Amino acid sequence: MSNDSKEESKKKATKASAKSPANSNSNPPSQENAAPPAETKPAPAKQEVKPSAEPAAAEKKEEPKPAPAAKPAAPPAPPAVAKPPAAAAPPPKKEPEPPAFEKGLAQQITIRFGDVVKVLYIKPRRIKIMTDPGNLVEVATFLRDNMGFDHAESASGTDYPKDNQIEVDYHLGSYSHDDLLAHIMVLATRTNRDDARIPSLINVYKSVEYHERETYEMLGVYFDGHPRNDRFLLPEDWADIPPLRKDFRIKGR
Amino acid sequence: MASLEEKIEETRRLGLQVVKETEEDRLMTLSVGPQHPGSGHFRFTVKVDGDYIVYCDPDPGYVHRGEEKMCEYRNIIQNIPHLERPVIHDSTNVTYSYSLAVEELMGIEVPRRGQFIRAIASELNRQVYTLYWLAIYGIFLGHSTMFMWPAGDRELFIDLLERLTGARVTHAFNIPGGVRNDMPEGFKQKCLEHINYYEKRLKEYEDIFYNNPLFRQRTEGVAPLSKEDAIKLGVTGSVLRASGVPYDIRKVEPYDVYNEIDFKVQYMKTGDSFARSYVPFLDMKESCHIVRRLLDKMPESGEVRTKLQPNPKGPPGESYKRVESGRGALGYHIVSDGTPKPYRVKISVGSFRNMLALPFLLVGQKLADMPAVYWSLNYWPVEADR
Amino acid sequence: MASYTESFRFGEFVGSVLWLIFWVVIIFSMVGLPLLFVVLFYVPLPPMGDEVLTPYLFLTMVVDPTRTVPIIKYMIHTDLFRVTAFPGFTYAALLAAVTIYFERKFLAKMQLRIGPLYVGKIEGWLQLMADGLKLISKEIIVPSGADKPIFWAAPIAFVATAAATTALIPVAPGWVVADIDVGMIAVFAIFGFFPLIALLFSWASNSKYPFIGGLRALHQIIAFEIPFIISALSVVILAGSLNLTDITNSQINSYWFVFFLPISAFVFYISSLAELERIPFDLPEAESEIVAGWITETSGMIYGLIQLGTYLKLYALAALFVVFFLGGWSGPVIFPAEIMPGYTGEKIYNPVTLSAAFWFTIKTFGMIVLLLLPRGISPRIRIDILLHTGWYKLIVLAFINMFIALALIYGGILGPGGLLVR
Repeated sequence: MSNDSKEESKKKATKASAKSPANSNSNPPSQENAAPPAETKPAPAKQEVKPSAEPAAAEKKEEPKPAPAAKPAAPPAPPAVAKPPAAAAPPPKKEPEPPAFEKGLAQQITIRFGDVVKVLYIKPRRIKIMTDPGNLVEVATFLRDNMGFDHAESASGTDYPKDNQIEVDYHLGSYSHDDLLAHIMVLATRTNRDDARIPSLINVYKSVEYHERETYEMLGVYFDGHPRNDRFLLPEDWADIPPLRKDFRIKGR
Repeated sequence: MASLEEKIEETRRLGLQVVKETEEDRLMTLSVGPQHPGSGHFRFTVKVDGDYIVYCDPDPGYVHRGEEKMCEYRNIIQNIPHLERPVIHDSTNVTYSYSLAVEELMGIEVPRRGQFIRAIASELNRQVYTLYWLAIYGIFLGHSTMFMWPAGDRELFIDLLERLTGARVTHAFNIPGGVRNDMPEGFKQKCLEHINYYEKRLKEYEDIFYNNPLFRQRTEGVAPLSKEDAIKLGVTGSVLRASGVPYDIRKVEPYDVYNEIDFKVQYMKTGDSFARSYVPFLDMKESCHIVRRLLDKMPESGEVRTKLQPNPKGPPGESYKRVESGRGALGYHIVSDGTPKPYRVKISVGSFRNMLALPFLLVGQKLADMPAVYWSLNYWPVEADR
Repeated sequence: MASYTESFRFGEFVGSVLWLIFWVVIIFSMVGLPLLFVVLFYVPLPPMGDEVLTPYLFLTMVVDPTRTVPIIKYMIHTDLFRVTAFPGFTYAALLAAVTIYFERKFLAKMQLRIGPLYVGKIEGWLQLMADGLKLISKEIIVPSGADKPIFWAAPIAFVATAAATTALIPVAPGWVVADIDVGMIAVFAIFGFFPLIALLFSWASNSKYPFIGGLRALHQIIAFEIPFIISALSVVILAGSLNLTDITNSQINSYWFVFFLPISAFVFYISSLAELERIPFDLPEAESEIVAGWITETSGMIYGLIQLGTYLKLYALAALFVVFFLGGWSGPVIFPAEIMPGYTGEKIYNPVTLSAAFWFTIKTFGMIVLLLLPRGISPRIRIDILLHTGWYKLIVLAFINMFIALALIYGGILGPGGLLVR
């Protein structure tokens, strides 16, 4: 039964991508790129604002795909628009798209955290939320205790040199709540690339221990509070930059 | 010994980091692997106090190939052959979730017959992997017949897959949009023949191995993983199901045609080494039924593959798709920036997740139980290293 | 894949062979023959029975082979022959070689494999020889920091100890190297050396895995030594003697002891497996846990010697089982009284001895097969279960059967003048 909805959405996605490839391909990275530099310089105080601005842009980027109706007009908006409304706006637009259950989950989070947490997308069985590193542990604790996501499937990092940021995604799942079994909550956060440092979730999710170690050595993100930020997969004498950063080039490529 | 037991209990309660070396000089450090016959391409350091393991630190990475980095340099189709290298024995399942993720990203629909063929190939390949795993479990416990039998019967499925895909081990059969080629003439017949024979053999395995009193003595009650701990550690696959969580991606998040197939999720409640070794065996039995039903329901003819444009690229976005591989959930997190090459591919593999349970389970066990516990985790070192 | 080298010329090949033959002939005639004659004419030769071995007699043997009969007759009754050839080392080693070949084929059949196939054309029967050659030609690696004298001496001591056991085993009436009155105790005394050797070797090789393996071997063998001896003691009670030949004879006079002492036989069998470190009890060499246990650091012929010793030990234990429980050499005389009509073979050919040896070999080989069998069907046991089995269960079982044996003696069923004594 859930498959039906999946297939539907797949079809819709097909349509969407069929209709809007030209729009959505309109260079989102560069667009993102354009937005952050203005904000990158300011003092650390503003840094908390920045990630929230950033996801908003990212989210706009996602937006055209599910909702074919609107919107070459929307993407240009983000730099100008005030952040909270932008964050609040997309979910209503997606209303026909996401299944009700996922939307309910997302709303639970928005009700609890307001604009601290941005909902980036709601797809069938996949929700991605973004928060800044400072609130990461709090959000994760809420997800574990109140929403029933009891383990982390993986923690992966993605390097965005153009934004000078690194995104860390925790894929959280649930084994103990029957209605959440199929769902993955992607908890994302972004940190500055030069001094990548986010709080570790090891006290919330034991299962992230090795994933965080891997992320540390592959992307150079230091996890505060993690007992062992040291070599894991790479050789002990590895003396280069973290290999999954984009400026690490494979020889001959 | 009571004090040691208490100490071990205490260190286990502390969680994963079980470094508590109060009497350092009575401990002996043993480096197990990577050239140890009982480790694979993997090393873990254990410290033993007498015959008891009090500390264990896994050290993977001996076969790390940077698959994730390699993905960023090749386009979506070029990625398929090298992505199955980490687990060549389970190569169809490894590329299965990659194909699913790419399909979701690009919004590709797979033809119905293609979905069935994929599922059949995936089931057969899971048998290949599990037989290999079982063979090694046998020899780890000193049962050489159990090493030879599954390794020989594995040929049945390798032959089938060779007929189906053209390659014996690394098939590169699943591609975004379907499967590479249609099922050959007479495959169904041959497949049923092999499976009928194989089910008889499974009974013999049970007699010689699982019902062997010595095997039971070795594994029953050894290193139990409670349901709570299993959930907390986020283990997956047979390890999770052995601890009493009936969680199988094929059931909870059916992909392709699995929601039309009627099958039971096999699980046990004890969570000890025996359960962890028996659940994959039950899975193999169930998998035979699944293949039969898939063969029954499969449409007789039709397309098997949606043709893609030559150098496919999707809209920017990301997707996370999972399948149930031989070692548990195998997920691909693909981030695309709209170019033909994926921007970032993260492979979330069952082995890597199950490795977390290794130090947790080994501490407090006897040295002789090390292989029984280690290999019951359904851990494939090459996959964990990627 | 035989292939000729690039520069192969047939003429050169023939030439080199001829050259070789030329040198062999030259060396033989210039050095060998004079040496032989010096020995034959100037060194006083020992008397062979009733005839003095002279150079002339020696040379005439070439013409008339029947003249060698008295020499052979003399030779096979010397101690040297017994120690080196028939009941002693060569016989045991041959049986061990057959065992190794049989084990490989047997296990292979059990596991749906083929086993050795190529060496020697027929079912790979020369595989063992090839393996031996390979082991001889391999470098022997001595770990740095090893205690070298002990490291070198231990394998030799291992083989020597195993071979010493075989000296005590009566293979046919009168055919035993050392027929001593404390035979049974001597056997167990010799077996007591093995854990010591294992421990010494493991300690000497200065490595962790051998050390654990050596300790395990020590634990295991000591745990099983006691049920082992107790199960043999009930045999002694029934036979009334510690002499292995007497034990055999007393079974010929009544019935095989396995009928009276099945539990002892079982305990003896299990203990033999443990003593041999064979599969359910191969903890000292547990591959997946401690690499290869106490033989981890062995290489080349050191490994070969230890394997040889292990199989000699296997033969010795199977033979002991046969002597204790299966009536030793007892069995019908199946060989004819004369080799060919009218020729009795003049003391060389003795049908009674021959059939005794035949039955003994058959029984021993059957026992060896029984000892090999668990390897195909059983996983390895864990050390605590093993110790528990040894100390708690087997000792009790052995004692139970000892009481049965005592009851049989005091009930007048066996023993001097018993009901079942023929």
